[in-house]
Amino acid sequence: MTILPDQTRPPAPSRPALKALNDARVRSAVIQALTLLAVFVGLWWIVSNTVANLAVRNMSAGFGFLDVSAGFGIGFTIIPYQEGDTYLRVFFVGIANTLLVAIVSIVLATVFGLIVGLARLSDNWIIGVVARSYIEIIRNTPLLLQIIAWYFGVFNLLPRPRDSIELGAGFVLNNRGFYLPAPVAEAGLGAFLLLCGAAVAGAVGLYLWSNRRLEKTGQSFPALRVGAALVIGVPALAYLALAPVSWDMPELQGFNFQGGTSVPPAFCALIVALSAYTSCFIAEIVRSGIQSVPKGQLEAAGALNLPPNWTLRRVVMPQAMRVIIPPLISQYLNVTKNSSLAIAIGFPDLVSVWMNTSLNQSGRAIPIVAMTMAFYCTVSLAVSAVMNVYNKRVQLQER
Amino acid sequence: MKKTILTGALLGAAAALPAAAQDTLATVKERGMLNCQVGLPTPGFYALADDGTWSGMDVDMCRAVSAAIFGDPDMVEYQSVTSAVRFTALANAESDMLSRTTTWTAVRDTQLGLDFTLVNFYDGQGFLVPVDSGITSALDLDGATVCVLTGTTTELNLADYFRANEMEFTPVTNENVNVLVETYLGGGCDAYTNDKSGLAARRSAFPDPEAHVILPETVSKEPLGPVVRQGDDAWANIVRWVGFGLINAEELGVTSENVAEMAANPPSPNVARLLGAEGNIGEEMGLEPDFMVDVISAVGNYGEMYERHIETGIGIPRAGSLNAMWTEGGILYAPPFR
Amino acid sequence: MAPKVFVPSPDRPPPVDTSGPLVWIRRNLFRDVPNTLMTLLGAYIAVTFVTAVVDWALIDAVWQAESRRECLDLVGRSGACWPGVFVWFENLIYGLYPKDQVWRINTGFLLLVVWMVPLWMPRVVSKVAIGLSAVMLYPFLASYFFLGGEKGLVWTALIAAGLWGLIWVWATALTETLTGKSVGTWLIGRLGRSGADEATQMRIRRGAALALFVVSVLLVAPAEFVEVRTQFWGGLFLTLVISGIGITFSLPAGILLALGRRSKMPVVATLCTVFIELFRSVPLITILFMFNTMLPLFLPAGTEVNQLVRAIVAVCLFAAAYMAEIIRGGLQAIPSGQYEAATSLGLGYWQTTTQVVLPQALKIMIPAIVGNFIGLFKDTTLVSIIGLFDLMNMARAVGEDSNWLGLFIEPFFVVTLIYFVFCFAMSCYSMNLERKLSAGRERS
Repeated sequence: MTILPDQTRPPAPSRPALKALNDARVRSAVIQALTLLAVFVGLWWIVSNTVANLAVRNMSAGFGFLDVSAGFGIGFTIIPYQEGDTYLRVFFVGIANTLLVAIVSIVLATVFGLIVGLARLSDNWIIGVVARSYIEIIRNTPLLLQIIAWYFGVFNLLPRPRDSIELGAGFVLNNRGFYLPAPVAEAGLGAFLLLCGAAVAGAVGLYLWSNRRLEKTGQSFPALRVGAALVIGVPALAYLALAPVSWDMPELQGFNFQGGTSVPPAFCALIVALSAYTSCFIAEIVRSGIQSVPKGQLEAAGALNLPPNWTLRRVVMPQAMRVIIPPLISQYLNVTKNSSLAIAIGFPDLVSVWMNTSLNQSGRAIPIVAMTMAFYCTVSLAVSAVMNVYNKRVQLQER
Repeated sequence: MKKTILTGALLGAAAALPAAAQDTLATVKERGMLNCQVGLPTPGFYALADDGTWSGMDVDMCRAVSAAIFGDPDMVEYQSVTSAVRFTALANAESDMLSRTTTWTAVRDTQLGLDFTLVNFYDGQGFLVPVDSGITSALDLDGATVCVLTGTTTELNLADYFRANEMEFTPVTNENVNVLVETYLGGGCDAYTNDKSGLAARRSAFPDPEAHVILPETVSKEPLGPVVRQGDDAWANIVRWVGFGLINAEELGVTSENVAEMAANPPSPNVARLLGAEGNIGEEMGLEPDFMVDVISAVGNYGEMYERHIETGIGIPRAGSLNAMWTEGGILYAPPFR
Repeated sequence: MAPKVFVPSPDRPPPVDTSGPLVWIRRNLFRDVPNTLMTLLGAYIAVTFVTAVVDWALIDAVWQAESRRECLDLVGRSGACWPGVFVWFENLIYGLYPKDQVWRINTGFLLLVVWMVPLWMPRVVSKVAIGLSAVMLYPFLASYFFLGGEKGLVWTALIAAGLWGLIWVWATALTETLTGKSVGTWLIGRLGRSGADEATQMRIRRGAALALFVVSVLLVAPAEFVEVRTQFWGGLFLTLVISGIGITFSLPAGILLALGRRSKMPVVATLCTVFIELFRSVPLITILFMFNTMLPLFLPAGTEVNQLVRAIVAVCLFAAAYMAEIIRGGLQAIPSGQYEAATSLGLGYWQTTTQVVLPQALKIMIPAIVGNFIGLFKDTTLVSIIGLFDLMNMARAVGEDSNWLGLFIEPFFVVTLIYFVFCFAMSCYSMNLERKLSAGRERS
């Protein structure tokens, strides 16, 4: 850099500050300091405004109301709740319901997604057309509308309790919900659970051992099949021998079925709508993931004479997973967030029961909105953290 | 740069303090518009027509206040918000008053920074059930699934009633009445509960109204009326006395037809005071002395409002209800305008 | 020994038809047993679904009635009651906008179409400039059409800038199509000053632009529209306004956030990351709710922020966070060789970013960006939950009209159709783009 003649440079000594700004490190430090300052001042401004406004408006922002009895009924709870319980309890009821919806939808959406993806690739013309129109219709209408459509178009049209659809084995479907037998613990339950645990542990151990042996000696062992037999066979035998649970069957009494467990139609509508909606996206993700594995990999596997299921398990899937997992997880997070649309059909998820009903009844906007956001942030950040670790592990190493 | 932000923030924080002494009347006059909060469209109380105009009992209350301030009932900007955000919208000073079938309760009055002005409609919660269900009393509803509007006192009353009578129930909640009605008609719940005025209005729009019956029990008190922000008593007084003025007008026989004539030759001192020919009630409130003349010629008296929107509007008779005048067996009773 | 005689082997049977509808059916629908079963199942699902909808919406439906009571007396609940939707249809599209002012909305959207048409004209070169002008200048013009009211000096200048942009776009489009020259060059040619030095030419260009601006100010100044406050905005119009602003804002904001997140300055990177993760981890309903109830608390007392603005701010920030992640994906896909090449050419950070990295990253991500737009458009349904009269709430208002009390499914059905048409069109466009882009990639 000494090629330039000195005269072309600005006279430096008179303005040392400006010269320092030409140094990238100094500049970056200055920019960062300014940004930080602006953010702090902005935050302080917001907080001071809020405090002043709250004082003027006689609104309280405290969490004191959490101990107050909520006083309204909730249509569906998986943790015990009564009308006299506190708002804090309502918060947890909402969280539990949200998580339940999210987990069930995620499982169903993944299964649906695989089926729809395969159906779309099917060479049967009608199936292809049905699958394609299904995907196009579902992807191009707002989820909010779909949830309402499922609720009124299907679940509200089911027969009344007296003419319920009996699916057998105690499973009943009517317009009040889906009823199923509930397990009641009996004496043998502890031993039964212990045996099941042992069977699973055995299967996992077997799998690990067979893998290690395969790597060392090249001899394979049908660990999957034996393991599956273990996991299914042991509990089945134990169930027959020990009778660890008895079943509480739903029965028609008065207005409705009593006994067993049940989920309301709003839950069914929400689950179906969410899984149908998400499955369309998952189908695409899985397909693009599998297609992303270069053809050469398959040919190389073929050249090595790997059996087809090995090719799939040890060549295609590990590489496809790298492409599939990140968008898949983000879809799972979307399911959790989208479950907040339950409010449209009145299923008591967190947003509906907490940010709508409780906020309405108690009028405490700030703590309630803050707690709701904190919950969603926690879930999302926890999942993101796990994802980042996973991503680091599977990332392709670039120079 | 940094300095300006800092000073700006300080000024902002400082500017927030003097606002404690709010003067809503001055703000409204300056704006030239009354921001009146109503709910999402509901027949009878705040109905929305396809040309974008609002009408109804609660809407008339907004128009009355506008007439009292500006002499023109149409200087109102209606804000239609969901019930979930109604109180924050009022507290945030987005609306100057809230006129939307809001029940007066202790918690709302004392803890949410609200000030209830008067009761202009007495309602009570009831249950609607299909006739063929064979239910004749709310006490038969043990174990029932009940459709209820969420975020309302209705929801709390429902829970209270079942708890008090040691009965079980499953609520089906929504904040959209039409969703609940569809659910109820589809058999998704055994009973639909709401204020009885609402039940009657909905029932009349059923495919077969005769197949549904409103149970005799009234399980709650629902005194409904306009609400203002706490901390501006002068403003609360304006809304309150416009409301009382409407009720007094009915009692004194002042109607939109004869108000001009009565203002010119008041038949009694009471009428003279109401219409501003005597006394200084209007001036002291910061309004015109004859503000009630503008109000009554714009919306009529309470009886006319009721007749127009509730009786012919949604078909609920007034005679024999709580909303009848106290002289006629109801409990509508306004303090004297003097 | 018998002589060798040529004995023709018997004719082979004629080949089975390889074309024609029957073959197609056999091959595609009934090839084997499972395939046949699938066909029957698929056909059954399609037929049941379609007939149920057609029965309700067309065959059993009522087309003329004065009120819902009449519909119910005619067909009960087994058929749709369309007259209520007809009465309210204009409101579903334009909200509560005064009926005699609706032409302004139509003109506003027509102007956008007129503005964008040159983008599809093959001989137009300055497409980027035209696109940018639509994003930067069109909003001023449109907002005056939609909002109206008194316009001060600044407002007049901004609207005039909008008009100026429109005139410039078409002047450019015409000269480029007809003569292949940009509008300035063409003007200089017409004036016979092509030989003049650069400074003179520049002066001519500036003078022409200024003259055009003065003309547009003169055109704009006398135009006066009645004010239509945002409380009257609603229906499809409001949905388009919200999503339009969200989309327009999200792209530049998303780019900045994505660059910030990848920045080497830890403070900037952390702040951007926190913002993005915060907004992405929370459902849009919650964000809308927060902005609706809490934004007035955050501002000094007495500041009035209208409800529509609060919703738009929430939608914009939400959309920006999502867009940032998409663009970051695009940035990550650019090989580090590109950065190194740019650095070795002596390009600075902003030059590298705007000239080398962003154009490539944006091109890769176009399908995802369009997908994000579709998602945003669908998500605007949520503003109904805080009480704006968008399509959803307008549909709800139909069922609260005392003439049509309880009419709920029908308007809802129509709203679904409207959404579907819009999203489907966008998604077709995006697939089309994707195909074009991937074709480009395969060739190279």
